[in-house]
Amino acid sequence: MKGSNHIVPPQWPLRVLRFFVKREYLEEIEGDMEELFYDNVEQWSLRKAKRIYTWEMLKLLRPVLVRNLEVIENLNRYAMFKNYFKVSVRGLMKNPLNSFINVFGLSAAIGICIFAYAFARWTLSTDQFHEHKNEVYLVTFFANRDGAQQQFGRTPRPLGEMMKADFANISKMCRVEDRNVVMKHKDYVFHERVRYVDPEFLEMFTFPLKWGSSTSLGDVSSIILSEDMAIKYFGDENPVGQDILMIFGKDPQNPSQTLTKAFKVTGVAKEFPKACTIRFDFLINFENFHTSEQSFDFHDWNAFVNATLIQVESPSDLRNIKHSMEKYKRLQNDAVQKDWALSSFAFEPLATLHKRSEFIRDDISRSSSDNYKSIVYMCIIAVLIMTLACFNYINIAIATAAKRLKEIGLRKTIGATRRLVIIQFLSENVVVTFFALVLGLILGMTFFIPGFERMWNFNMDFKLTDPNVWIYLPAILLITSVASGIYPALYISRFQVVGILKGSVKFGQKNPLTKIFLCFQLTLACIFITMSTMFYQNNNYMAKRSWGYNHEQTMYAHVADRESYEELHALMSQAPGIVSISGSNHHLGKSNGTAVLHFPSREIEVDQMLVDANYFETMEVPVIMGRGFNDHEGSDTRSVLVNELLIKNMLWENPVGQHFTIDSLQYEVVGVVKDFHSYSFAKPIKPTIFRVADKSDYRFLSMKVRKGAELETYRMLMVKWAQLFPQIPFEGGFQEDVWPGYFEANKIYRIVWGVFTFIAVSLAILGLYGLITLNVAGRIKEFSIRKVLGASVNSIAASITNQYLVLFGVALTIGAPVGYVLTKLLFKSFPYHMPVDFSSSAIAVMILITVLLITIYTQIRKVQKMNPVEGLKVE
Amino acid sequence: MKKTKLGEFEELVLLTVAALQKDAYGVEIKRELEDRLKEKLSVGSIQSALKRMEEKGFLTSQFGEATQKRGGKRKRIYTTTSHAHKVLAEMKEIRAGLWSAMPKLAYELKLI
Repeated sequence: MKGSNHIVPPQWPLRVLRFFVKREYLEEIEGDMEELFYDNVEQWSLRKAKRIYTWEMLKLLRPVLVRNLEVIENLNRYAMFKNYFKVSVRGLMKNPLNSFINVFGLSAAIGICIFAYAFARWTLSTDQFHEHKNEVYLVTFFANRDGAQQQFGRTPRPLGEMMKADFANISKMCRVEDRNVVMKHKDYVFHERVRYVDPEFLEMFTFPLKWGSSTSLGDVSSIILSEDMAIKYFGDENPVGQDILMIFGKDPQNPSQTLTKAFKVTGVAKEFPKACTIRFDFLINFENFHTSEQSFDFHDWNAFVNATLIQVESPSDLRNIKHSMEKYKRLQNDAVQKDWALSSFAFEPLATLHKRSEFIRDDISRSSSDNYKSIVYMCIIAVLIMTLACFNYINIAIATAAKRLKEIGLRKTIGATRRLVIIQFLSENVVVTFFALVLGLILGMTFFIPGFERMWNFNMDFKLTDPNVWIYLPAILLITSVASGIYPALYISRFQVVGILKGSVKFGQKNPLTKIFLCFQLTLACIFITMSTMFYQNNNYMAKRSWGYNHEQTMYAHVADRESYEELHALMSQAPGIVSISGSNHHLGKSNGTAVLHFPSREIEVDQMLVDANYFETMEVPVIMGRGFNDHEGSDTRSVLVNELLIKNMLWENPVGQHFTIDSLQYEVVGVVKDFHSYSFAKPIKPTIFRVADKSDYRFLSMKVRKGAELETYRMLMVKWAQLFPQIPFEGGFQEDVWPGYFEANKIYRIVWGVFTFIAVSLAILGLYGLITLNVAGRIKEFSIRKVLGASVNSIAASITNQYLVLFGVALTIGAPVGYVLTKLLFKSFPYHMPVDFSSSAIAVMILITVLLITIYTQIRKVQKMNPVEGLKVE
Repeated sequence: MKKTKLGEFEELVLLTVAALQKDAYGVEIKRELEDRLKEKLSVGSIQSALKRMEEKGFLTSQFGEATQKRGGKRKRIYTTTSHAHKVLAEMKEIRAGLWSAMPKLAYELKLI
């Protein structure tokens, strides 16, 4: 055959074939295959011939042709495994305490592993269900703020339209902007948030519809609802075709009129997947801005939309687009003042948006960076607890080896090889682990996952039908059973038959590795206790932390505009319990603005709050230097108050009298307020300035009331509100309730850590208990002789305790400080935490010592009560 | 016909072996059958049919010559046994009987 020197069939399928197929068939089949291959080479290309060859080879692996491999032969002994199974089940029954320790430990560990899996899957799958996630990009830009490059998820308003017109390879474009409105259908009136989007929204994001059509968004009078909202306003029936009224607010041209528009429901979205951060309540066409805000300038480079998304055919198209963004940058930077200049545009694929969300300011995806961190913590904890459980198993297996020596001796005498003994032990282990796996799965699915979901009030959507679970579970089974079983199996199978049967071997009771494992377990337990005590203490500490202002006896209401403010103010100022009342544009814990301060040498971005003169008194924000604002119209328009942090950052010795400019107007610092928390404690305080709010900007009315008058005043507020604005639902509340979720979260951390610690500690304790029990049981004869010869309880107690003293000493001296240091490191990522001290380490040490003493005490009692004759009768 | 257990595909392979006589080895059987059936067959299906029928006693085999195209590997030439012939003949008879019973039905299927 010409050319056959160069053209040869691929080698690896041949190797596979040689390995699997019966030897007597090999020659002819190989021959046939080769013949066919050369036929095919003549007929088709070499590549195709090779492909056919490989594929045919794989198809040859059929039961008739495949030989029985030795491995399979060995594993195939059904009767043998049945016997192993029986032995292991009987072993489990005979020794309930040990079995409990093993099975409980492993199942708790597996339960946590399953929980960690569910959590990781949930986090990683967030927003990943969109079909075009790799083709849809969020337009972002980089800008220099406060000396650092930051990425922003907003986009200049005209950019989207221009890009769509300029680039042929942008197939779809969508702008997204959110507004608060009041929605009305029959008697149902609520404050709602609507999403103004371009009609392509539902093509770029694949939210399937339950009713109606997604193309209807092209019509400006159409509205698409989420399922929740459909139920809220229309109940269970199909609302398509019904009308819903949107109240945008007062008409700026004609203040006596309210701007409203009726929309026809043309679609209802199916329930969103659980792992979803970009969602919507109401979708309406972007063009509606022509109606709702006549001043909304679609071509204003100074203004931004919440998001602009583009869709391209392939990621390579994006490269060209990126290169051509320069002109938009120039347009934008010409339009805005210097302090908002941007340095470059960037594109963020929808697929990675959620993950990167923490680093993109103001983007429409909710950031859950903490969840990504939590995955890491959870994996570490799962692995640690798994290690603890495996160590328990190993320890107990080694300790009980003494009891099984005869069995193994006998097995070996009648012909079991060492390998078979190992296989026996490993298969017993698979049985135990399998029980644990089933229990663990139940534990995970009925306790860990639903418990956690209930605490946070969400749903991880964990289902056993997820195919990955069925890769993960067997993997756990395999890894756990091998990890926990391999060492005992190797160790026990090593014994020599002669030694065992002569009785000269006394294995099992003094294995140095057992001690190392126990020591490690105790160390881990110590670390866990230290850390969770510290978290517990810290949560308590944080719960008592001051917000920096007095949020008791304070309430607020969100008003629509100046007139509403004045009407409400007039009515409420007559209320008997009122101490102080004030109006503001922003409100502590609810809203704030930002501003860029210009100094000759630098510029910084700060939080800005526009308030009136009463605000500091009402909210009890202490003014510690200088003065507050003067209470008469037109005064202090160029004055600001700053917080302590700003002074600290600016290194000002005398803050009062300092100058800076905002938007090219000069301002003077007239006073300093104490630092306060405008966000939850999980976020650091920011440098903040206060300016006088123009009356037309008042959006909040806040009140301080006399102690005891809170409920009464609140009730009055509701009544007056209903009289004044029957059309608008009330929005406001007690200041104390501004951050309710924060304390809830704290409580949850405490519970989660408590559960982890409980499991870790009980594992360590069970391990310790099991080991001491076995140890004492193994030395019963010795103790009996001692007792007969007149040893005191004390001396026996000492001989038991001594073994563990060093172990304990080592575990505690390592565990306590490591736990301390680890917590301190973790605390570093919290902006505010309690001063770290050694009390939690001390508590951990004390708990562990108590446990050891109790365990040893129970065993000593046993020895004490035992009749030495019984002990000596054994064997 | 009772306990012979000859599948449809096996029967086809067996007939091919009988027809090919001295040339009845793996690839040749495959080619012949592919020609007649007008569809692609995999080596695996042919081989497993051959091996199964050898176990059941329909076929015997011995090594034939080797060619260079086969990388110096020998062919295995399959021969039908007398038992196979008997079974095939029985099958043919049963079928013929059924066919002869059928025409009455078939001709009555008028379209108009």
